[in-house]
Amino acid sequence: MRSVGTGFLVAATVAAAGFLLVPRLILGAPVEPVMGFVQKIFYFHVPCATMLFLSTFTCAGGSIAYLFKGSEAGDRVAVSAGELSVLFGICTLVTGPLWGRKAWGVWWQWDARLTSSLLLELMMIAYLLARRYAGPAGRKLAAALALFAAIDVPLVYKSVDIWRTVHPQTTVVPTLDPRMRPAFWSAFALITVVWSLLLGLRVRLERARAEVEALRLDADEILEARP
Amino acid sequence: MTTTQRNQTTRSTQSLARRLSALAWFAVLFALSPGAVLAQDFQKVEGPLRPELPSVPFVAAAYGFIWIAILVYVLAVARGLSKVRKDLAELRKKIDGAGPRP
Repeated sequence: MRSVGTGFLVAATVAAAGFLLVPRLILGAPVEPVMGFVQKIFYFHVPCATMLFLSTFTCAGGSIAYLFKGSEAGDRVAVSAGELSVLFGICTLVTGPLWGRKAWGVWWQWDARLTSSLLLELMMIAYLLARRYAGPAGRKLAAALALFAAIDVPLVYKSVDIWRTVHPQTTVVPTLDPRMRPAFWSAFALITVVWSLLLGLRVRLERARAEVEALRLDADEILEARP
Repeated sequence: MTTTQRNQTTRSTQSLARRLSALAWFAVLFALSPGAVLAQDFQKVEGPLRPELPSVPFVAAAYGFIWIAILVYVLAVARGLSKVRKDLAELRKKIDGAGPRP
C-alpha cells in the first residue's frame, strides 16, 4: 500500500482551516430579508448539490473508460465517485427539505427540481446496487446506468428554468448579494476540497483492495509450488 | 464457468436490463403526463397564518447532518482500509509460514 501523499496532506490542512474559517464567514454574512436566518442552509446546500453533479459526471467518465477501454482504474474512480454521488445526494435531499419546511411551509413538493433530483439519487443508488448484486455482468450494467444518470444532470440543473417550480432559479448564485459571496464561495471551496479528499481516499481503498486480490492469487500459486 | 451458467447469467442480465428500461420509460411518460403538468398549479392558502417556526434548529440540523454523514463515510472508508491492511498482513504471514521457496 502506498503512503499518504503531499497533496493529500495539503488538502487535509486546507479542509481543517476551512472548518474554522467558513462558519465565521457564514455567521458574519448578512441575514436574507425575506427568508431570514434559515437561508444560511443555502451556503452548504448548493455546494452539496454541485458535488452531486460533479460526482455523477466523474462516475460517468470512469464508466466510459471502463466500458470502452476496459480501464480498471476508470472503474475504480467510477465506483468511488458513485458512492460520493449518493452521499452528497443524501445531504442535498435532507438539507433542502429542512430549508423548505421553514421557507415554503412544507417538507416536500413534487416539483420538477425536487423530483428530478430524487430520480438522480435513485439512479445512483441503483448503480451501487447493480454493482453489488447483479452478478458477473454487474459492473458493465452499472456503468451503463451511470451514463443515464449523467444525462439526467443537465435536466436537474435546468429544470427550474424550464418548468414552473417553487425552487429558486439558477440565477440565484450569479445575482447573489456581494456581501454574501465570500461566505458562499469559501463554503463551496471547502466542500470541493472535502470531496477531493474523500474521492482520493476512496480510490486508494479500491486500489488497495485490487492489490490484495492480485496478491492473494499470486500467494496461492506460490503456495502450490512449494513442497 | 459452464455454458449453462453463462447463459443463465446473460439471461438474468438481459432481464434486469429490460426491467430497468421499462422503469425509465415509465418515469419519462409520468413526467410528460398531463397529471404531472397540472400538479404544477398552486392553490391559494386560506385561513389563519401558522405560527412562525424558529430557524436555528433547521440550520443546526442541516449543518449537523452534512458533517455527520461525511464523518460516517470517512469512518467506513477508514474501516475498509484497516481491513485491507489486516488481509495483507495475513497473506504475508501465510507466505512466510509456508517455508522457503523451492
